[in-house]
Amino acid sequence: MRAASGNMDPNSKRFLYRVNKEENRKELKHVKIDESSIIASDSGNKSKKNKKNGNKMELPKKKYYRQRAHSNPFSDHQLEYPSCPEDMDWSKLYPAFKDEHTGEMTKEVTIADIGCGFGGLMIDLSPAFPEQLILGMEIRVQVTNYVEDRIIALRSNHAKEQTYQNINVLRGNAMKFLPNFFHKAQLSKMFFCFPDPHFKQRKHKARIVTNTLLSEYAYVLKEGGIIYTITDVEDLHNWMVKHLDEHPLFERLSKEWEENDKCVNIMTNATEEGKKVARKQGDKFVACFKRLPNPEII
Amino acid sequence: MAIIHPIQNIVAFGDGLVIFAVIKNVILAYKRQDTGSYKLIGKWTDQYDRTESIKDKVTKEQDRQIDENAKKQKDNEGNVVIQKKKTEAKIPVPGPGAPPVYSCIRNLLISKDGHKLLSCADSDKSVLVFDIDLNNDTNCLQLVKRQPFPKRPNSITITDDGKTVIMADKFGDVYSIPTDGEPLKDINDELDPILGHVSMLTDVLFKVDSHGKKFIITTDRDEHIKVSHFPQSFIVDKWLFGHSQFLSSICSPLWKSEWLFSAGGDDFIYLWDWESGKKLSEFKYSDIIKPYLTEKHLAPSRFQNESNDIIEYAVSKIVAFSGIPYIAFFVEATNILFIVKIDVENKKISESNTLELPYNIISLNTANDNEVIVSLDNRDSNGENFVKFVKYNSQSCIFEINEQKTKELDACFDTLKNDSNITVEKENIFPLYSTTTLRKHGEHYS
Repeated sequence: MRAASGNMDPNSKRFLYRVNKEENRKELKHVKIDESSIIASDSGNKSKKNKKNGNKMELPKKKYYRQRAHSNPFSDHQLEYPSCPEDMDWSKLYPAFKDEHTGEMTKEVTIADIGCGFGGLMIDLSPAFPEQLILGMEIRVQVTNYVEDRIIALRSNHAKEQTYQNINVLRGNAMKFLPNFFHKAQLSKMFFCFPDPHFKQRKHKARIVTNTLLSEYAYVLKEGGIIYTITDVEDLHNWMVKHLDEHPLFERLSKEWEENDKCVNIMTNATEEGKKVARKQGDKFVACFKRLPNPEII
Repeated sequence: MAIIHPIQNIVAFGDGLVIFAVIKNVILAYKRQDTGSYKLIGKWTDQYDRTESIKDKVTKEQDRQIDENAKKQKDNEGNVVIQKKKTEAKIPVPGPGAPPVYSCIRNLLISKDGHKLLSCADSDKSVLVFDIDLNNDTNCLQLVKRQPFPKRPNSITITDDGKTVIMADKFGDVYSIPTDGEPLKDINDELDPILGHVSMLTDVLFKVDSHGKKFIITTDRDEHIKVSHFPQSFIVDKWLFGHSQFLSSICSPLWKSEWLFSAGGDDFIYLWDWESGKKLSEFKYSDIIKPYLTEKHLAPSRFQNESNDIIEYAVSKIVAFSGIPYIAFFVEATNILFIVKIDVENKKISESNTLELPYNIISLNTANDNEVIVSLDNRDSNGENFVKFVKYNSQSCIFEINEQKTKELDACFDTLKNDSNITVEKENIFPLYSTTTLRKHGEHYS
């Protein structure tokens, strides 16, 4: 509850909204939503608009989830993470992919969106890769809550088609705990969309792409797996390209490849940041890299 | 009254023939004579003066600012006006309330062949490389390289060939430098870390596996033990998952090179096969140590509960005996030395012994096949009990203090009481207990 209450005025609209959503989330986060559960589950959220739209669950409103734009990846946050990849219970995030008989997951996460922000990329990737599990990781509490609520609403609104079952979000520090979630060569795609630029020289270690972190990304990526990067900060783009180019386990993919890849298209147009940059008619810099096989160990 | 500062670290080499000890910012070397007594054969004092480097830094910043301002200032024709430096940059001096700066020396490591001693100096965050010449009785220690780093070195190791030092720093980066040659001037521009964690590193180990492949094992404040290839350190081989708190110390025994023991802020010592990545055994030490914990182990007040009974403790160091299947470790700010037997055949940590020492243990290292050496926080002892050799007595099958050797070595330190570099007022003793502070409290919420 701490995240919801903070120092906020307990009578404010935002506070009440957050409390309501938090309760809703607790209830709905891990359930497999089918049509029968929709009316009951949406009881906490009956607004006029709701009635107008029939049984549609309202999508969360961003204004109630405001928080500081940055979170320090080096400080000690209250985080939940599994002690090792085998201890992670993925069925709570993707209940539709749990085999009822064996209790095992039928699929594992293969696409990760690191620093997923408000989740726009995942929501567009979901129908494009219906057979793959997609995980967003985000360190900011309120932003993660927003994405959770958004996914709950989407799943409930599409209960009939059973879509959006393959995406979910985790609050976590990917820079520290990525190997706690994924085993060696598990991922086929990793996205780094509009990461924090950390302009100051002395803050460069806080950037999400560094030569030392790339070795950890290479560990969780399978051979041929792809790292997607996009940013509106040219300086950061050059930095990411430089480090990826220098890393022996990555090779840049060509412009033609980018033009023909559906993820590049989605990434350029789908994310909230991407849309914001487009509105401001800013530049977007894309770079994609392929995970090379390990060289012979000397 | 000034006392001799407790020994922060002590290592032995060549069957206990040569001893290196750190007191404050001084490294001392002793050699055992035929009579059994120890003789001082080397001494090195870190006399690094930080004002020079601060001056460099301040001047550099001043130049940068002048450059920056110059870009903005233009004359009437729009040409850039270049300002001349008017005054020399002022060197800041810490005020009366500033926290004390300790110029500690930490880490002592002898290369396999015994020709090199490695250490780290806090004063300029550098790695120190010494040549050891035991034929030179006046001073066997010759500083051959001093490489400063941007962040404080926390742990060092050396490759088997003695040619490369691998250093793990406080910021999570690992660097590799040759033991010889000129030090790099500006390491930030010239050298990239070979691997890294996004967490403070606490220990690093160089290992060769049963196929002759080389590895680096690193541990951090986030429960992680990472195994990376070397020199292809960009290939992560595996993580060893299991600890639920920070790691502080790892060791790999000579008698079973694919094994690794690890310890830190949780209740267990773990035994791993680091080559296969399997956890083989664990040992819970917390119930044994709890009766010996004191008010020193209470959690800091801001993390304390209402009844003021949260205790925090951690293993500071774990080492393996080199010739017998035993390991030794101790919990910070206690006087109990744990010695645990390893059932090599069944891959199990079996029974344990504890040995109560007169004062809290500060450092622990392997001395020879069946002996370890500890240094003690002897600030209240009136110049005794600096060190203890703890030996396995094969007749009685118990661990006991090697009184003879201990007495001989202790006597050496007593002669230092007139050396102002080594003595200190009791209240100015360097911080000796800092492992427990690595514990995470998750105090950041958003």
